[in-house]
Amino acid sequence: MAVCAAIVGKDNSPKYFACTNPDEELNFQYKVLSSLDVVEEKLNAANKGSDMRELYLGILYSLETHKIYGYVTNTKIKFIIVAESTNTALRDNEIRSMFRKLHSLRA
Amino acid sequence: MRSSVSYILSSTTTEPNMSHPDYEQLAHDHAALLVLVRQIGSQLKNKMFNKFYDRISRLNSVNITDSVGQVRNIYIRYVKEHPVENNLWGDFQTHRRLLGLVTFGKYDSQQELNDICRVHEQLKVKYITTLFDSRCILFGPSSDSPTEETTSSDATSSISSSTDAHSIKTTEKDLEKKELYFEENDKEVFTTPSNFKTRALFYSETDPCADLEAHLTDFLNSLFWVLESKRLERSREKLERVSLLLAPFEKKDFVGLDMESRNNKRRCTGRSTKHLGDLCLQAGLITEALTHYHNAAETLKSVNDWLWLGAAYEGLCTATALVLYPNIYRNAPLHRNSSLQEGSPKRSNSITTPILDIVKKEVPNTLPPEEISKKYREAIVHYSKYQNAGIIETEACFKAARISVEQNHPLQAASFLQNVVFINLTLSEQERIQRFETLSDLYMQIGFMRKASFCQRLAATRYVSAQNPTPNWSQCYNLMLQSFRGHKISLDPTEMMSTNVQVGWSTLQIQLLQEIVVAAKRMGHSALATRHMTFLLQTMWPYLSINDQKEFAIQLQSLSAQCEGSPVSLVLDNGTVIPPANLTNIPICAGFNLRNLQPHLRPRKIQVLKQDSGPFLFTPINFGSLERKSAKVQSKMDFFWIENDLCEVTLKLVNPLPFELKVSNMRLLTSGVVFESIPETVVLPSDTPTLVTLNGSPKESGELEVLGYSTHTLGVKSNCRLRYMKGFLPQYTIEVIPTLPTVEVKTSLPESATFSTFQNFENVVTSASLSLYNGESTQCVITIANTSQVPVEMLEVSIQSVLEPSLQDQIFKWSNDDLQKQLPLLPGNSASLTINLYSAANFLASGFNGPELSSGVFGSSHASSIMSASAGPSSLPSRLNSPVHSTMGNSFHGRRNDLNSSFRSSNSGQSSMTTTGCRSPGALTLPQHVASAVVDAQLQLRFSGGSGFQAGYCRSCSIFITLEMIPSMQVTNWDVLPAETYSQFYLVLDVANLTSQEMEVYYTPSKHMLIEGHESCRVPVPVDRCPLSKLTKFYMEQKSGLDDRLDLDKICSEHIANLVDLSWHLMSTDTRGKASLKGITLTPNMLDIVRMSPIQWEVLINDGLIKPQEEVNCVVGECLEIKVGVSNCFEKPLRQLTLSVQFYQDYQNGMQNYQLETRLAFTGTTKIILPPLEPQDKAKHACNVVFFNSGHYKMDIQCSAPECLASTPSVNTTGHIWRFLPAIEVNVN
Repeated sequence: MAVCAAIVGKDNSPKYFACTNPDEELNFQYKVLSSLDVVEEKLNAANKGSDMRELYLGILYSLETHKIYGYVTNTKIKFIIVAESTNTALRDNEIRSMFRKLHSLRA
Repeated sequence: MRSSVSYILSSTTTEPNMSHPDYEQLAHDHAALLVLVRQIGSQLKNKMFNKFYDRISRLNSVNITDSVGQVRNIYIRYVKEHPVENNLWGDFQTHRRLLGLVTFGKYDSQQELNDICRVHEQLKVKYITTLFDSRCILFGPSSDSPTEETTSSDATSSISSSTDAHSIKTTEKDLEKKELYFEENDKEVFTTPSNFKTRALFYSETDPCADLEAHLTDFLNSLFWVLESKRLERSREKLERVSLLLAPFEKKDFVGLDMESRNNKRRCTGRSTKHLGDLCLQAGLITEALTHYHNAAETLKSVNDWLWLGAAYEGLCTATALVLYPNIYRNAPLHRNSSLQEGSPKRSNSITTPILDIVKKEVPNTLPPEEISKKYREAIVHYSKYQNAGIIETEACFKAARISVEQNHPLQAASFLQNVVFINLTLSEQERIQRFETLSDLYMQIGFMRKASFCQRLAATRYVSAQNPTPNWSQCYNLMLQSFRGHKISLDPTEMMSTNVQVGWSTLQIQLLQEIVVAAKRMGHSALATRHMTFLLQTMWPYLSINDQKEFAIQLQSLSAQCEGSPVSLVLDNGTVIPPANLTNIPICAGFNLRNLQPHLRPRKIQVLKQDSGPFLFTPINFGSLERKSAKVQSKMDFFWIENDLCEVTLKLVNPLPFELKVSNMRLLTSGVVFESIPETVVLPSDTPTLVTLNGSPKESGELEVLGYSTHTLGVKSNCRLRYMKGFLPQYTIEVIPTLPTVEVKTSLPESATFSTFQNFENVVTSASLSLYNGESTQCVITIANTSQVPVEMLEVSIQSVLEPSLQDQIFKWSNDDLQKQLPLLPGNSASLTINLYSAANFLASGFNGPELSSGVFGSSHASSIMSASAGPSSLPSRLNSPVHSTMGNSFHGRRNDLNSSFRSSNSGQSSMTTTGCRSPGALTLPQHVASAVVDAQLQLRFSGGSGFQAGYCRSCSIFITLEMIPSMQVTNWDVLPAETYSQFYLVLDVANLTSQEMEVYYTPSKHMLIEGHESCRVPVPVDRCPLSKLTKFYMEQKSGLDDRLDLDKICSEHIANLVDLSWHLMSTDTRGKASLKGITLTPNMLDIVRMSPIQWEVLINDGLIKPQEEVNCVVGECLEIKVGVSNCFEKPLRQLTLSVQFYQDYQNGMQNYQLETRLAFTGTTKIILPPLEPQDKAKHACNVVFFNSGHYKMDIQCSAPECLASTPSVNTTGHIWRFLPAIEVNVN
């Protein structure tokens, strides 16, 4: 299961931030913030190429303890999910569906 | 990227591994010759050394023609430090070997020179295993002339001429020779010690060292040739025979292994080939290098020699990079200035021009660009299998990342960089920090600002971590400051506040700001700590919890106790400017208003051009289009401030903190004209809006801009500019006009208790109130003191009230001339103005002209009919409405009517009027509620002086005067009676004393009468009749209308008013006053009495001239001869006069009996129409009368104008009856 979820606005300002362990929120915030660089870069790259149908960005970062996944809506609202690396059970598809749920909830 | 079989191939380390990573390495460095540049001794200044280092560094590549005439491009890399351990990896990657040494030293004495030489030799020894050649550059005392040039030429020639490795030895010999030679030359000065076997370059301190580059090129040449010889040596070795090359940590692994096995042979070959590739690369033979690398990779792959395979791959990558991107060499040392933002990511440099494709095709074995990173990745994976190769791996990551940057593949670069942090190395803190700094630098280059900031912050925390034996807070601070950018924190709070949207992540921003405050504090720069704390409070205020707000505010207070915050920019040592942070949230300003001056101090235009714009002050028509609606609050004030006057701005402040806040030194921030602001200190209770007034005075005239205010709270001085605050105009502009005087006004009268709601009373400065009995007058002295520094040059006095101007002038009188004489009024002086106040009132009861009285007196039947026509408009003279305050007026008026009616009824029975004054028969039922009238007026003073006067401004203030006019005396009724003398008549007045006191009324100079309070009495006042000269006009035209009659009335009434001088004296209070009969109204009948008759009578009875009041006695049966002479003493002829003689009996009860046919008989006509009488003409008529009975008779002789004969009550009122008055009494015995 994800340990942290964040919604980031178009201008990269935080809109929503939640994590399972509130004490670590600061750490997660740092992680999520840094991952935005990758998101931006991926978006840049995607813009040059074909039109992006795929909202899911895949894994942004894998850290020693955590993996960070990203998802961008057409309006450039970003969803970020942080999952524990040890959680090998978590498949890409599950992450995808998590994002979709998040997206529909948000919408 | 990490190999899953990590560490499996490496033993746990006790071996000396390469523990000094070089994060700055580029792929291109693989091709470079490593030269150590060192500074020896303390004599040489660091700055100078750096200058030379930079100069040398520019010489980073040389072209050398080799033995076969091919031009080789040789790269050189200069370093200042080179740990000797790194040399150990020289077999693995030859570019790690230190090949050259250049030292700089400065000496003043032989001893110092010796020391330098000794250190140089020591360094040579240190790197002896790899060092090819060295140079020592020496700076002697400036007086020395550089002299060492002598042998260089042959040295170089020998080098250039040498074609093989053997020549090196000869060169070395040459060098020794040269040194000997040199010693001989310079013996008398300084000599290098005999064991110093290095070529030295001598310069004086001030020498420009023009040939330094040339010498260095020589030096580099020598390096190259040695290298080339080694390469050749290597290339000639039989591949089967080569010894196994080892990485430092591998030595133990191969102990006891069968080196002759096929596998190991191949391993040897592979490693050797790779090594040769390295050498070729360094020697500028990229093509060969690529071939070697390629072959090596093939070989090594087959024997699973991962480490060296990795190296071969890396070699392949670097060589390819060198071909594809020849330009990414380390750019000239650019000292990054952190205030100069770290620039856009380096993407623009990427060069993927078609030319390169051509190059690529030309060079065999190069990798396609996209393959580079793949191969690098592979290499890194292979490295990662060896724990001891951690440094190599790390460096490879950085190199790969840099190539990715060049290729403009940020994600790739990021992944390489990301890998760096996973590599487990035992590093010193310093190296860890460097690692993070390099990471952040590279992240920055690929535009990953957030990541870069994150690394910077990590580096910063490393500087001061508990493990760090030498915490460096200032480094920590600097890095923290640099990481602001990635967190979207601008150093300028106004910039932060200007965007409404929250861009950065406030939680992290707050965290970072808190950290930097601590760093600044620990660094010992408390001003910065205060500044950052202020910044934190100011910019992050909305995102702080209430508790945090409080906490930070308290922290700020304690920080600022050490160093007060002030609104000036702080400049750091590295040139970074920290802009001021102003606390605009503490306290919050909820309102900012410029106040107009006090009404009495406001400037006014002396000349108002357009005073009255008509009755329509509002127009629904919008002239000038729609702008007016869109225009919001104007920043330009529509009022003025005056130079040197105290001007006010009110602020509404809210203290958001849960404790009491003291804000001191509050001032206004202005621009434009000079403004002196008066500091203000307030203590704000928590969360309660407080109004604060800031004062100041402009010192010049002109335009003043109010920009905001400054505060000093929590130990921080802030300039709160409205421009940067939400919900305010950026500034307020106000016109300051030149200085005007101020005055203080006092009156001699007591102040009124309250002002009425009189309009426009805002500029009232003082007030005066008094009560006067009607007719009383008094004086009021107004003192005007100049309290300013400017003389008063203009002073105008005017009175304003709702009264009619003429009445107003009666009540208030002053001498303007007296006032003007006292001007100019110098500062500190005072002027006085005397106002005469007179309680002017109408002393006549209105509603007079009741027919009863007149008919009662004269009984002429037609009088009433005349009156009925004229009574309407004239009974209520229009003037009566205005004299008093309107609210009072109505009631007063109403009462007066009551009063009048009661009078009338009481008087109706009285028909007899005596010529002497008498008390009225009983106490009059005067109403007790006769109220006083209150007149409110404003005495307006307009004054000006000084430069403001020249500019056409003045001030205006007013004195509010409340005048209570108490009724004193009133004439309730009046009538006229013919007097005993022809030239006079009696004005009979019913005088009522409306006071409760005893009143003495003087009605002629000699006569007076006492009236009890609320009583009335009747007084006769002898008055001269109105002379005809005043009335000429009315007889000129025959047809004169109603207007004329009114005019006549007026003239007569004025005549009376002028002549009758009623004055009263209240006995108890000793107040005196005068009453005027102004406005007295007269009936036509009265008018005839009042006027002088145009007809002069001459009545003879029995030839005896009858005088007025004379009685005629006769007996019954006696014939009286009556001769009447009528002369016209008017200026024009009188026509159609009818003269009639009539007798009647007066019963003294209002009845007159004209039916006397039985009692007397006339001879001759009693009525005759006289011929037209020219002026001064005389007409005569005679008749006789005989009385039959005794008794009192009265003879009425009258002359009437024709119209009067018409018996019908006509509208023509010009008819006149002139009687011979008084009627002659005839006593018949």
